[in-house]
Amino acid sequence: MRQDLELEAIIEDYLNGKLTPEERAAFEQLRSNDQMVDHKVVAHKVFLESVNQYANIMKLKEQMDVAHAQIDVASLTEELKPHPSKLVRLWRNNRSAVAVAASFILLSLIALNSYNESRKQEGNFAAMSKDVAQIKTTTNTLIRDIRSRKSNKTEAKPANFGGTGFAISGNGYILTNYHVIRSADSIYVQNNTGSYKVKSIYTDPVNDIAILKINDNSFDHLPSLPYTIKKGNSGVGEPVFTLGFPKDDIVLGDGYVSSKNGINGDTLAYQVAIPVNPGNSGGPLLDNNGNIVGIINGKENKTDGATFAVKSKYIMEALNAIPQDSLSKRVGYGKKSLLKGLKRDKQVEKIQDYVFMIKVYNNN
Amino acid sequence: MSVKFSSSLPTDREVVLGILNNSVDALNKLYVAYFPMVLQFILNNNGDEDDAKDVYQEAIIVLYNKIKSGSFELSSKLKTYIYSVSRRIWLKKLAQHSKKSSNIADFEDVLAVEEDLEQHEHKDMQFDKMKVALESLGEPCKTIIEDFYINNQSMQDICEKFGYTNADNAKTQKYKCLQRLKKLFFQS
Repeated sequence: MRQDLELEAIIEDYLNGKLTPEERAAFEQLRSNDQMVDHKVVAHKVFLESVNQYANIMKLKEQMDVAHAQIDVASLTEELKPHPSKLVRLWRNNRSAVAVAASFILLSLIALNSYNESRKQEGNFAAMSKDVAQIKTTTNTLIRDIRSRKSNKTEAKPANFGGTGFAISGNGYILTNYHVIRSADSIYVQNNTGSYKVKSIYTDPVNDIAILKINDNSFDHLPSLPYTIKKGNSGVGEPVFTLGFPKDDIVLGDGYVSSKNGINGDTLAYQVAIPVNPGNSGGPLLDNNGNIVGIINGKENKTDGATFAVKSKYIMEALNAIPQDSLSKRVGYGKKSLLKGLKRDKQVEKIQDYVFMIKVYNNN
Repeated sequence: MSVKFSSSLPTDREVVLGILNNSVDALNKLYVAYFPMVLQFILNNNGDEDDAKDVYQEAIIVLYNKIKSGSFELSSKLKTYIYSVSRRIWLKKLAQHSKKSSNIADFEDVLAVEEDLEQHEHKDMQFDKMKVALESLGEPCKTIIEDFYINNQSMQDICEKFGYTNADNAKTQKYKCLQRLKKLFFQS
């Protein structure tokens, strides 16, 4: 025991460099001869380093505490704490909890809503049919009432209504809206070359389409049709234009497809943002490449700029319903139009001979 | 959002030389200069001012050890170094308390200090071991050891303080205490 303590003392003095050179030499001799002593030296060295480190850090901490006491932590905290507000901090600290709560609320709302939805179905349906009745009153068809303008007509027999139509074949087949010619006793069409008597040979009240045939010896066959009928639907935002006869001269209207369905989700029609007036009914709706995407057939009373157009695929259905051999130089379908790449004024120039004013006479 | 430090900033060179020379004044200046930066960081990342004190002091210890070991090179600003170390320490504490450590709001550039912190953790373990060993040593051994090894008092002073009849007795007592402490330290 006594020896151990003395050895400790010597080791410590040795490590601290307090031994005389002779003692040091003697001790090193002992150390190299005795594994036990060597081990003790190493252990003590590690221990002393740890103690020193401990002592240093303790001292450092003490000094830092003194320094810390000089700092006005409270006011600094006030100044530096997260600014926006306590609320934001609360939110930041509890973000996940809040998120869980919020998603739970959201989920239950959705569940509740879908439950209500399924119960509401019947009511909605009834409301829908009422709306359909309302459409009849709100979408006014765009037939021009020429009677009111009788005074400036020089013709002996003025037309009662007017609309627009366009050629679908070279030999005088013209397409327009059913509602334009619905109550007609006699129908005439007129373009730059003249006025011709036509007769209705096909009507489709559901799709609001009618096909007329020029029965007039003075009518020369038209050259090849410049436009084609577009295959497939037009996307919302697609630029479109129409030509029509809201007055006695042809009028160009420019716009874009604003919705892929018509009034109240009517899938037969597009909604188009295009200014139209009575007389535009039956006019062709074309895209920039000269493909017919629809027929203008109405607009909504209450909303500005909401015009409706029958989709082009129903034009094809109508075309296919008439004897095909009677159509010569019929309008192309899904082909490349001759108008592609032309400027608008050139397109109009090429189309205008194929667009007709429809004049409807009613004896009543 | 940057912090205006009210006290004049010591230059980095001043601080490093000061710490190497055990200058209390240099440490003081350093401590006061960058505490607000760390306080701001901790306050904005789910901590309070006590957390800030702990983290900051630990970061200063890391810096101190690095300077003392001679491996500190002024390749970056001291400020950036302290910020990076504090940040790393705080992120680790956040992780330990399984608090979220994503979306950390930063106020300074960040350096890679992982290596320094690994070394620090080793030293910190030794420190804690020593602390535990000293505490379980009991009186009067604890005081004798602390007075001799930490407060650098001479055996003569200790002899008088504890009323030993002679310095040899005190020495014997000290070595007995030391043996016990070493046993505790190496066993733990």
